[in-house]
Amino acid sequence: MAIATQGTASNYLQRAPSPSGLADVIDLILDKGLVIDAYVRIAVIGIELITIDARIVIASVDTYLRFAEAVNRLDLTQTEAAGLAELRDGGGNGDGKAKGMVEGAKDAFSGEGNREKERAKGR
Amino acid sequence: MPLESPIIGGAGASTATALYLYGVTWAEAARPQPRAGVHGESVDSVTYRELAGLTSSVESTKLPAKRRDLLRHAEVLGTALEHGTVLPLRFGVVFENGTALVEDFLLPRYNELVQLLRQFEGRVELSVKAFFREEAILAEIVQANPRIARLREATRDGSDGSTYPLRLELGERVAGELQRRTLRDRQALLDRLSRLALDVRVDQQPIEHQVLGASFLVERERVAAFDDAMNELAQQQAERMHFKYLGPLAPHSFVGLDAERR
Repeated sequence: MAIATQGTASNYLQRAPSPSGLADVIDLILDKGLVIDAYVRIAVIGIELITIDARIVIASVDTYLRFAEAVNRLDLTQTEAAGLAELRDGGGNGDGKAKGMVEGAKDAFSGEGNREKERAKGR
Repeated sequence: MPLESPIIGGAGASTATALYLYGVTWAEAARPQPRAGVHGESVDSVTYRELAGLTSSVESTKLPAKRRDLLRHAEVLGTALEHGTVLPLRFGVVFENGTALVEDFLLPRYNELVQLLRQFEGRVELSVKAFFREEAILAEIVQANPRIARLREATRDGSDGSTYPLRLELGERVAGELQRRTLRDRQALLDRLSRLALDVRVDQQPIEHQVLGASFLVERERVAAFDDAMNELAQQQAERMHFKYLGPLAPHSFVGLDAERR
């Protein structure tokens, strides 16, 4: 099969067969699944000991100052190499620029899609 | 919110033993499980016609549950899924005994449960989470926005009062950009993955740096194709995102009983 010989992408991300961390499990089984309202449910206790690594986004002055600080800490001489397709669009401002960035991202994603199609044809 | 709910004692609270229910599967697919379930009890099943409830005994309906029990609930369902289709229950449902499980659930819901089992035959849930790498996405934002870059230059040297309004503006603009990129990239990921799935549930809770949190209902035979798509996305976005990819799972995000749909 083509996938095995394509190589590069095939083992990039491992699918975990079952939830390993408690955060994943809580996501799945405390909020989802069949519920039978009339029936006794075991109380869950002790879960407050778990720190869940997710921080809910709140628009606040504190959040803004934290982002400002994070941006100021950046060492851009190192990260510039990471360059993304959309950075080609460079300067400009306002709506026109925003549009350019959206299209840039679409290119980044759909470009990959095109390659996939080409590969599929080649099989 | 289950985390804060008090211990609930129902009509069965005074009985010595009770029956914990994990999920419902076809009777012919119900197998003894090698590992213990909630509270360390072995996993058994209660059958009614071609349905089986996966159960284990618990000492009473008032027992507390700990993290190990949550993990075991998920494990039992995962093992059951290896043998066939399973309808997962939310954590914590307890019946007085096997008779009550049949008479109050399997029998009255028989048609609905059979229909659900058929509906999810050969289908599994895959869970996908994508997160921005903070440094990469912030660098991207600074480099793409001259105003943000200028504000950054103007505020780099100090955090005293004089730069406060500029720092506030900088942070607000960064937050806005981050939000825009989150929505844009979420849609791109969804566009790519949804076409391999029968159904999708997207988590709408805004979690910092989380681009996407979604569950996909996928035919078992398409899981490999989904793996390929995930691998390509992970590779293509490696510089700026990391992913959590989980499954195959019982269809936690997609099951629902008629009276309890929300």
